[in-house]
Amino acid sequence: MIAWLQSRAGLWTAGGFAFLLVLPAILPELMPANQASFWLGNIFGRAIVFGIIAMSLTFLATYGGFVSLAQMSVAGVAGYVVAITVNGAAPSIVGGLAYMTAIPLGIVAAVLAALFVGVVSVRTRDIYLLMITLALAMGFFRFVETNIAWFNGYEGIRNVLGPTVFGLPFRDPHVIYYVSLLLAATLYGGVLYLVRSPFGLVLQGIRDNPRRIAALGYNVALHRVAAFGVAGFIAGCGGVMMTIYNIGISPGSVGLGATINVLIMSVIGGLGHPIGAFIGSLIFAFFDTFAATIYDRNRFNTLIGVVFLAIVLVSPDGVIGLAKRSYAYLKAKSAPQRWDKPT
Amino acid sequence: MSQSPAIELKNVGRRFGALQAVRDVTFDVARGERHAVLGPNGAGKTTLFNTICGDFPPTAGSIKLFGEEISHIPAHRRARRGIGRTYQQSLLFDGLSVRDNLFVAVRGVQPNRFSFLVPRRDDAFLAKAREVAERVRLSHVLDIAVGDLSHGQRRQLEVGMALASDPKLLMLDEPAAGLSPVERPELSKLLKDLPRDLTIVLIEHDMDVALPFADLVTVMKDGAVVVSDTPDRIQDDPVVHEIYLGHGGHKH
Repeated sequence: MIAWLQSRAGLWTAGGFAFLLVLPAILPELMPANQASFWLGNIFGRAIVFGIIAMSLTFLATYGGFVSLAQMSVAGVAGYVVAITVNGAAPSIVGGLAYMTAIPLGIVAAVLAALFVGVVSVRTRDIYLLMITLALAMGFFRFVETNIAWFNGYEGIRNVLGPTVFGLPFRDPHVIYYVSLLLAATLYGGVLYLVRSPFGLVLQGIRDNPRRIAALGYNVALHRVAAFGVAGFIAGCGGVMMTIYNIGISPGSVGLGATINVLIMSVIGGLGHPIGAFIGSLIFAFFDTFAATIYDRNRFNTLIGVVFLAIVLVSPDGVIGLAKRSYAYLKAKSAPQRWDKPT
Repeated sequence: MSQSPAIELKNVGRRFGALQAVRDVTFDVARGERHAVLGPNGAGKTTLFNTICGDFPPTAGSIKLFGEEISHIPAHRRARRGIGRTYQQSLLFDGLSVRDNLFVAVRGVQPNRFSFLVPRRDDAFLAKAREVAERVRLSHVLDIAVGDLSHGQRRQLEVGMALASDPKLLMLDEPAAGLSPVERPELSKLLKDLPRDLTIVLIEHDMDVALPFADLVTVMKDGAVVVSDTPDRIQDDPVVHEIYLGHGGHKH
C-alpha cells in the first residue's frame, strides 16, 4: 500500500482524490453559491454516479476483454428493487423497508441479474456478446415498460428520496457529492486491488488467452461468470445511487439511450483503465448539461456524437490514451538529446 | 499389480467435418518415458496433442491418463489431473509480467485457485513462480511484460508455464519452433535438464532434435501411426526414410 502510494500512479490517484475532497470548498470561491451548488450536484455528483455504472463496463472490458451492454439494465435492477421495496416511494408497490435494508437487497438483486447475464452469454465473445447483452437489456426495458403491477409501467416509480445522512437530506448536493465520491473511490480502489489478486490475474489471462487459461487448470466459464458478478456489484451500487439521484426510476433510465450512453462514456474516457469511466462520464455530463448553451438543447445527440467521433478518431483508446501519449511525447521531448558520434 | 501407463491411446480419431485429421491412433506412453511423435507437417501431430490435452474431445476411441478415462472431460480438469503442455505458437498472457504469468500457471492446479486476495510478498506460490523463472532462465526479466520478451524468451516461458504446475505428464509441442541457431542451445539445455522421471511427450519434425531426446518414437503420416519403435530402429526404418526423404532417400 505504502509502496503504491509512493509510485507515480499512487501519487496521481491520492492527489486527485484529495482535490475532489476539497472541491466543494473551492467551487464557491470561483463562482456564485447557487452555481457552485449546481456544479457540485448536477455535474460532478452526476458524473461520479454514472461513472460508477460505466466503471462496471470498463472493468469487464479492460480486464476481461468483453464488452457487455447489459450493465445499465443491471444497475436498473438494483434501482427498481430499491424503488419497489422502500418506504415512501410512489406508487408504493411493496414498500415497508427502510433504505438500509432496501439498498443491500437491490445490490444483491443486481449481482444475481449480472450472474444471469454472465451465464447466458458465457460462450460468446466480441460482436455476439454485444448482441446478446443488448437483447437482454432491451428485453428488460420492454418488460419494465409494460409491466404495471411491479414496475408501474411507463410512469416508473418516483419519490425515492434516499436516506438521511448525518441528519442531512440525501438531496443536498454536498451529500450526493460526498456519498458518491466515497462510494466511487472505494469501488475504484476495490477494482485496482482485485485485478492484482489471483482472480484478477486469471481474468486478464482469459482476455489474453482463454485456451491457455483452461490448459493451466482454470475453469474459464466460472471465472467469466464471476467477473460478471463483480461487475454487477459495481453496477448495482451505481444503480442505487442513480435512482436516488433521479428521485426515482422509470423505463427511460434503462432504455436503449441510457444503455448506449454508458458505452459512450466508457469509450470517450478510454477502456484502458477504470478511471476512464469517470473522465468519460464527466465529459458526458458537461455536454449533456450545457448542450443548450453551447448549441441547442435538442441537438445534444449531435453534439455528443461529434465529441465521440472526434475523440475516437484522434485517440481510439479515449482521453486516457490521449493523456498517456501526450505524457510520453512531452517526456521524450524534454529528455536530453543524445547524438551518436559519426564513425 | 503393474502400474497403468501414463497415457493409453486406443483407436483415437478426430474428424473435422469431412477431414479425418487423426485416425485410429493406438499407442501407450509408460510412466517416466520420453516419447517423441514425429511426422511431416500436416501429419496430425498437433491435433493428436490437442485431443489428449482436451482442447477438443476425440470423435472416436478412448484416452486414458494414468489408468483413468479422460476422453470427454474438459481441458481444465485434465490439467488438474497432471497434464502440463506447451504450444507450437506461444500462447502467453502478453498484458501480464513474466512473474504474473508463472504465478497464474503455478496456481491453476491448486485447490484454492479461485481467490480474491492479493498474495503477500512471502506467498508460497509467488516463491514457486520465482523458482520456475530461475529454472527456465528468466529470473532477470520477472517484471517485464510478456509482450516485450524476445521470441527465444517466450519459448522458454512456454516451457516454464507447463512446468509450473509440477505436471506428471509434460506435453511439448515443438518447443524449439522458430528459434534461431543462437537461441536453440539455451532451450536444448533447458530440456536436457528436465527431471529424468518426468513422463514427456514431444512433438518434433526435426529428427536431429527428437531422436537423441526420446526413449521411444512414434512416426505419424496423414493422421495415422506409421511406426512406433526405439530411436535406433526408427533411424534405420526404410518407411520412415521414405516419409522424410522420399524414394531413394539417404539416411538422415
